[in-house]
Amino acid sequence: MSRTAELAGELDRAGLTAAAPIEQQLVGVAESRWVPPEHLVPAAAAARRAGFFFESMTCTDRLAAHGALELLYTFNRYDEPPPPARLAVRVWVPHGMSVPTLTRVYGIAEWNEREAWEFYGIRFAGHPNLTWLLLPEGTEFHPLLKSFTAPPPSAFDDSLSAARGAPNPAVSES
Amino acid sequence: MSLSAPDLEDPQDTYTLNMGPQHPSTHGVLRLKLTLRGERVIAVEPVIGYSHRAHEKMAETRTYAQFLPNTSRQDYLSGLIYNLAWVEAVEKLASIPVPERALVARVILAEFNRISSHLLWVGAFLADLGAVTPFLYTFDDREAIVGLLETVTGSRLTYCTGRFGGLSKDLDADFPRRAREVLVRLRARWPELEGLIEDNVIFRQRTMGVGVMTEEQCRHWGVTGPVLRASGVPYDVRKMEPYGAYPRYAFTIPTRPEGDVFARYMVRIAEMEQSCRIIEQALDGLPEGPILQEGSIGVKKRLKPPAGTLYYAVESARGAYGIVLTSEGGTEPYRAKFRTPSYANLAALQDMMPGSMVADAVAILGSLDVVMPEIDR
Repeated sequence: MSRTAELAGELDRAGLTAAAPIEQQLVGVAESRWVPPEHLVPAAAAARRAGFFFESMTCTDRLAAHGALELLYTFNRYDEPPPPARLAVRVWVPHGMSVPTLTRVYGIAEWNEREAWEFYGIRFAGHPNLTWLLLPEGTEFHPLLKSFTAPPPSAFDDSLSAARGAPNPAVSES
Repeated sequence: MSLSAPDLEDPQDTYTLNMGPQHPSTHGVLRLKLTLRGERVIAVEPVIGYSHRAHEKMAETRTYAQFLPNTSRQDYLSGLIYNLAWVEAVEKLASIPVPERALVARVILAEFNRISSHLLWVGAFLADLGAVTPFLYTFDDREAIVGLLETVTGSRLTYCTGRFGGLSKDLDADFPRRAREVLVRLRARWPELEGLIEDNVIFRQRTMGVGVMTEEQCRHWGVTGPVLRASGVPYDVRKMEPYGAYPRYAFTIPTRPEGDVFARYMVRIAEMEQSCRIIEQALDGLPEGPILQEGSIGVKKRLKPPAGTLYYAVESARGAYGIVLTSEGGTEPYRAKFRTPSYANLAALQDMMPGSMVADAVAILGSLDVVMPEIDR
């Protein structure tokens, strides 16, 4: 049994996984599990203990159809010959719910979570520095949300005071 | 006025130095906020986002084919690899077959692109360290590769030659000869570079034991590519998760145990020779046949991959590049996320740089080979 399957089984036995909220085919990963937000930190810590590295984190807007955002974390190994060892951990984030930070488990989570916050408005509880990473400081909209419509050019003034003073109606409340 | 030596015991006795966002050695718009005590770096915070171009949003608002020109503009030094990665990801999602000749030609082009990226890095990195001469040699060789790729793709930097089901243009009959000529030229250069750079005592003193990363630190930040392999970890997507025609070719993954700046240099030099080996084998076994699948979607017709999410990974010149592509059955991607290698490698600077001298900061940053547009996307 591959170490990815072992780790996925360990998560199942520890009661950290949950049923899939949506049916969505996922290709290119060895194992995939849905984890409720409150179990995310122990699940990532188990991956870290087992020698996995934090590969990527993807947020997908499913607000229109399901009223929630989807977070897809992938963990991978440096030492596993083919087939690839990629483990997908998926988190269902209903509108407005916050997700615990993984910054204490993986260093790179700090940047990935800042990105998910600025582009989707997801709050990461316990994040030490939840501020803009790629967008200009002071940006008050979350541009990767499907509901986002481009703000007027005045929102991109050099000072950005325009964006601060007049929040765009497309800004999510979450 | 008298200057006193810094009190190394006093945690308050620090100052902040901004490196960038306009600095010749940051190779793009990057700002490093260095916290120094005397001349020693005690903390560094990379500040990024100066060249954010919203590629992920653009991917959601145009068709799969319309997004093709964006791909190589993420990492402009190994753009061909990024272009082909997007094409291969869409092919996998939509189950589009690829002719044999195109699979092999893609490997040849991608490996030449990898060598040209590494050569540019060698020149620019040595220039960072104050050695101007290597730049002239490596750009001369890089020019030969860029000229060769131009004859096939029509571009010199931001390639857009991938098509769903093959390539836009076939390799001409004379291509293998010209390609082999470039290989001969490159291989004659390795010993020269060795004598010029590797055996140079100043280069060794500037790079050895500087910016050391351990495997466990790499895991903490998700470091991949030559930086990881210089820490002794033989991880390469071409071996661990073989794609395209790579499983057919014999090549090794060069590693070094030291984990320092010198090791990163040596790994990249060794990788260029491995790329030459791959190209040679691919040229030997280049099959005849069409370069684009007959009746292929090409770029004109609308492509509608079935609903689903795909993780597709390739090895770029900088490390593991991943595309997370979600289709909802429409003509545009529902979501496209790009996991870029320099993003994680640059973040790892926060572990790599503290403890070193401020004079080594440029050497450590340079050894990562970051491309800012790829990080900012």
